[in-house]
Parts: sequence; structure tokens; C-alpha cells
Amino acid sequence: MPPSHSSRQKSPLWVLTHSAAVFAVLISLLTGLRIATLSQPALMQIEELLPQGEVHQFHFFSALMLSFIALGFVVHRLRIPSPTGTPFRRWPGWHRAIIRAGYPLLAVAIISGWLLFSGANLRQVHLACAFGVLLYLFLHGGLYGIRWGRQALVATLVPQLSRTSLVAGVVVIGLGPLLVSLGWVNLRQQSHFTLTVNAIPLRIPIHIDGEGSEPPWQSARTLYIFTDGGANFDNGATEVELRALHNREEFYLQARWRDADESLAHLPLVKSAHGWEVQQHGFHQFNETRHYEDKFAVLLSPDCDFAAAGTAHLGRKPLKNAPANWHGKGYHYSDDGQLHDLWHWKAVRTNDMYLADDNYISSPDIPRPGARRYTAGYQQDGKESGAYVMNWQWYRPGAITPKRLPLDPAQLAVYQQAQTDRESRPQWVASWFDYQPYSAEADNNYAEGTAMPSVIYNSNRFEGDRADVRARAQWRDGYWTLEMARKLVTGSSLDVPIHDGICLWVSAFDRAQIAHTRHTRAIRLELQQ
Amino acid sequence: MNLWQRTLLIVGVPLAAITAAVLHQPAKPEPAPYHLTKIAADGKTLPPWAGPWSCVCDRTTGLLWEVKTDDEGIHDGLWTYSWYRAGAAGFHTAARTNLAEPLPEAGVPDNGDCYFEKTRCDTEDLIRRTNRQTLCGENNWRLPTSVELASLIYPLAKAGQAKIDTDYFPHTKHGDYWTADEGDTLQNVYRHLQTGAEAISFIEGEKFTIPHRNAAFVRLVSADSKSCH
Repeated sequence: MPPSHSSRQKSPLWVLTHSAAVFAVLISLLTGLRIATLSQPALMQIEELLPQGEVHQFHFFSALMLSFIALGFVVHRLRIPSPTGTPFRRWPGWHRAIIRAGYPLLAVAIISGWLLFSGANLRQVHLACAFGVLLYLFLHGGLYGIRWGRQALVATLVPQLSRTSLVAGVVVIGLGPLLVSLGWVNLRQQSHFTLTVNAIPLRIPIHIDGEGSEPPWQSARTLYIFTDGGANFDNGATEVELRALHNREEFYLQARWRDADESLAHLPLVKSAHGWEVQQHGFHQFNETRHYEDKFAVLLSPDCDFAAAGTAHLGRKPLKNAPANWHGKGYHYSDDGQLHDLWHWKAVRTNDMYLADDNYISSPDIPRPGARRYTAGYQQDGKESGAYVMNWQWYRPGAITPKRLPLDPAQLAVYQQAQTDRESRPQWVASWFDYQPYSAEADNNYAEGTAMPSVIYNSNRFEGDRADVRARAQWRDGYWTLEMARKLVTGSSLDVPIHDGICLWVSAFDRAQIAHTRHTRAIRLELQQ
Repeated sequence: MNLWQRTLLIVGVPLAAITAAVLHQPAKPEPAPYHLTKIAADGKTLPPWAGPWSCVCDRTTGLLWEVKTDDEGIHDGLWTYSWYRAGAAGFHTAARTNLAEPLPEAGVPDNGDCYFEKTRCDTEDLIRRTNRQTLCGENNWRLPTSVELASLIYPLAKAGQAKIDTDYFPHTKHGDYWTADEGDTLQNVYRHLQTGAEAISFIEGEKFTIPHRNAAFVRLVSADSKSCH
């Protein structure tokens, strides 16, 4: 920084763009670190310093703002080289060296961010850049502040006025927000993927069997979506292949994604010296990541906004008047009352019903004092009857009492084999009528170490609204193939009608309760006639 | 401020904030106060997020309610009962009054479905067995009046669920639950059966008079329980 006060002062254009850049960088960093808590649990240590709620919108908006500023800076420098520039052969001094190091760092942060936004696997690079920018902010702004104190603030915030510089500043004030606003509208409306939904004749049956072998699937256009931020997948990421069809009555969706293991041991019960215990690693905080089934979720909405139609609200307590969540990741809910459909296929709990759990996301539910888990806007459609139940009278960490025990202890032999033989893949689901109500006498037949399923079907399917989505998946050679079908219009007030232009999002779960993969840009359906 | 003070401010404040955030972890969610309390089978009070529980005390009415199960025992929520009053000496009106008189036999015995009786089931069977069991330490279980049962209707139930607080009353079915109020004239297609008893449907919380012979669900109540007073 030059020594005299007048020469330290900057032009209005410089003050404006520098201030806007500082603002955008800070918003990007804070919101970005909150987003990173989803896949980097260590960052939860500083969660109280990070913003909560619908942070994705702010992150993308600040990124857009920063990108425009960076672009403007590059254009400006190409036209007018830096008057204080020092030839690269000479040591420019610490401050200028730090500033020069900041340029490529910010450039990589911006570029990796947009590539990540568009679907590239660059989350780690982008996160590393974020930490680099944090360091840069300290070295750049912090060292200036330490060296010059209040004078540094004056130099960066109080412009040196002249007629020409004033005109340039006014032009930037007028054009900058306009450009950013236009860019933002364009980004929100045009950044979606498109999934073509081929029309097929009503007479061609599509069997929901997880095979995906019918000829119409072969001619359907495939959309590849990179999803990441989940638990257990390689680097938390998996690519999802999507195909879609409709016959003017029903909508068919096929999803195929890489998952090295078929995870079916869903919260199994194992008998210990203290009694039966639920095998879990996070389930008590509703964030199981080890002993859980694989899952797949599809969100459908007439709203195509970022972050699952704007339903993703991050943080431990994004809603002021509602309970905090146990895991700190956040809630799904709708701010404006818009209903979003959520199909939730579960490898154990619904796959053998040939169904996906038909759920929805809407306005946040009221807090319910009797419920330990508050789920905000995420709710289940109603059902008349039929379901799965968990095989415990009441869940707690440590010993539990099962609801039911097998009619014959030999029924559990297949699960003991599965503990040692990875090739053995029993269905970790029990039938209600193959089991009997728990009794201490019957329990004496089971030795320590015995494993037992915790999921019991008490009928072969849901009945009612919750059964609107047929689904079946098969795992083969490291891939799940899932087929889903639902009427285009069900008539239920808790379902979103499927028509041209509505958007969907997909998420895969690898033996994880809530730690699912995600993608930013919506997938817009293009129904062919 | 001199150089060292500025250094302390610019380095120290962020470091202090980060250290405080790391050291101070957010408090875990806690249950909010509520008028319903879980009571274990032995009559002991349970915390709101504990279980299993067999009864619920409603502090606003002072009534202790039976909680349904799915264990195929006598309190299983799937069992249905015909409305029946044996009329034996000592059977009194449901309402608490010193003027209560033994009532005559009424209703239709053994026309519901359950596993725990050799014959089919009626309301008298569940009352007798529950009192014999001293569920939650009580032996004065009975059918609720329609006013008492209506106090459980919960308009804020989740979409598609029975209109009751299912976090406290699980296994409640979308169907009719008997009350003790009987003798009302039946209407329409049931007119030829003359009188029936009142039931409340927990689909929408509506009150009906239905024939005694109908198989409906039951939730018993105890008005003078030790655990609720």
C-alpha cells in the first residue's frame, strides 16, 4: 500500500467492485461451508458460525455476482493494465504477492464451482479452494488490517472522487445489478437438464420387475446425472442413468446406479448377553450410515428451483418455531405451501411389496410433543392398511424386546450364514405370520450372537394413497436397476400430476438413512405426444 | 490501536469464535410440555420419548386411557367387539354418580373378532379381562362416554391418519370406537333394530349411533386412576 493518504484512496469503481467482491466471497464461503457440512461431518464442529436455511440460492447468487465481477475485472485489465504493476521478474512485496496468488485461486474456485454446478465431480477441488480463499482473506485483508489498521478500511471504502471516475461508478451501479439480475433469472430458468419421456402405445406392457428389458426402454433417451454428497458410495458419489416413458395413462421411470454392495441388512437384531440389540451406527440420531438398506428417492415438483425445488433447508434449526433436528443436516419443507411429490423406494421395506413409499414434501408440520423425530415438511401419504413394522416393542440403544420371534428357530439359520458368507444374500424381511408374539420362553431358544431381521411385513402391500407408486429393483453386478410406475394423474391431493415441464430430482442412498447423494440442477420432463 | 492490538483483534477474534463454536455444541432436542403422559403397564409414569407404555393419562380431563397394541394380546388394536352389557349386579352407568343403579342386560354378546376368547368378543369381555389384569394398576376400566371419547379427537392429525394423537395412541384404526352411551334410536336401514349405542369414528371424529351387533373397536377408560391423579 502506498505511503500517502491521497494516493491510497481508490476510485469509486474500484471501491464498488472490491466491496461487492468481498460481500460475494463472504456469502459464498459461509453458505458453501454450510453446504459442505452435508458431506464433510468434521465441518459440523463450526456449524454455529454458519448460516441456516435455504442457503443454496444465496450460494449460487453470490457465485454469479462474483463471476460477473471477475469477468469485469479481467476485461478491465485486458484493456487497461495495472498502473501499479510490478514486472514478474522482480519481487513485488508480500502484499502484492498475496494478491497475485489470490487471482488464480479465485479463478479456480469460480470455475470449479460452475463445473460442479453443471454436474462434474469436483466437490473436493471446490472445497479445497474454499479453504484456500479463507486463508487468502486472512492474509490479504487481515495483514492489511494489521499493518495499516483503520487506514486500510478508509482506503478500501472511501473513494477518491473525480468526474470521470464518478461516471464509471454510476455506470457500474446501474448496470451491475441489472446484469446480475438478468443472469440470475436466466440461470434459474435455463439451467435444468431435460429428460425426454417417450410416448408408447397403451397396448405395450411395461413390467415393473427391475429388469428394464422391454424394447421401449432400449429406445428411450438416457440422461446421465452425476450425484454426490452421499454416504458409503465411492467418494460419496454415483452416476444415475435415467430413462422415462409414458402411455398417456401411466408414467414409467427407470433408474440405474452404481452401488458396489447390495445392502439389505436393515438394522438387524443380534442377541447379546444383555438381550436383543439393534445393530446401529447413527440410528439413534436418525442418521444411520452402516446397518441400513439401500434406497432411492425421486422428487417431483412443478417448481424447478435449485436444491430440490427449494425444499432443502440446511442446518440444525432452520425453522425458528420448530424443533431442531438431531443430525444437524437440515429439513425438507416448502416455504410457500407448494406440494412436492416424493417417491421413496426402499430395498427391504418396500421392494418386496413391489412399491415405493409414496410421500410428499409440503409446509412444515406442527411440532408434535410425542414424536422424538420432527421431519418438517417430509410426510407420508395416508394409507388404509398394510405396512411393514419394525421388530421391536420400543427402540432404544442397548437391549430391546422384539415384537415377534420366529415360529421355528431354524428360520434364522440363513441370517447366521450371511454374517460370515458375503455371497449369501438372504431377504432381511420377515413375514408376520411366520413369526409369533414375543415370549421369554420362546426367547430361550436363541443363543447369543443370533441375528434376526428387524423388518416384518404385516401385509403384502400398502393400501390407499401411499401405494400409488409401483416399484421394483434388482441388484446385479454392482448396479441397481429400478423401475417405477405411477398414473400421470392419480386424483390424490397429495400427489403431483405429471405433465410436460414438471421437474424431478433423484437421490441414491447406500445403506444410509438420510445421507443421500444429490444434484443441483433440476431435471425437466419433456413428454412426447 | 498499535500493531499488537490490531494483531490480537484480527487474529484473536476469529480464533475465539471458532474455538467457542467447536467447544459449544448445540443442545439436543428436548420434549415440550404436553397434557398427555405415558404410563407403563405397572402404573409408573414414563418420559415423553420413552416406551413401551400401556396407558395414557390426559391431564386436562384426569382420565386414564387404554393404549392399543399389535401384540395379539387382549389390547390388540385389530380386535373388534359387539356392544354388550351383561346386566349383572354391580354393573353401573358409566357416568360417575352415587345414584347409579345396576342396569339391565343390553346389547349383543360375542359378535366381534378377537383371538383371546374362545367364542367371539364383546365389550364386556375386554372390560372384564382388563380389570382382572389391573392394567396400569387399575381395576375400574369401562367404556368411555361419548363426551369422554370425543376429548381424544385430534383435528391436527397428519393427513391420512386417524384423528387422534398417534404418537401417544398408536394402532388406532380408521373406524368406529364404542362409547358407553346407548339406547338412541337407530335411523334409516337400521331402524328395524330399534336402538343402538353411540360410536365415534376416528376417520373424521364424527359421532354415530350404530347397532349393538356391529363389530367396532374399543378404547377403555379409567376415571379414578392413581397414576392420573
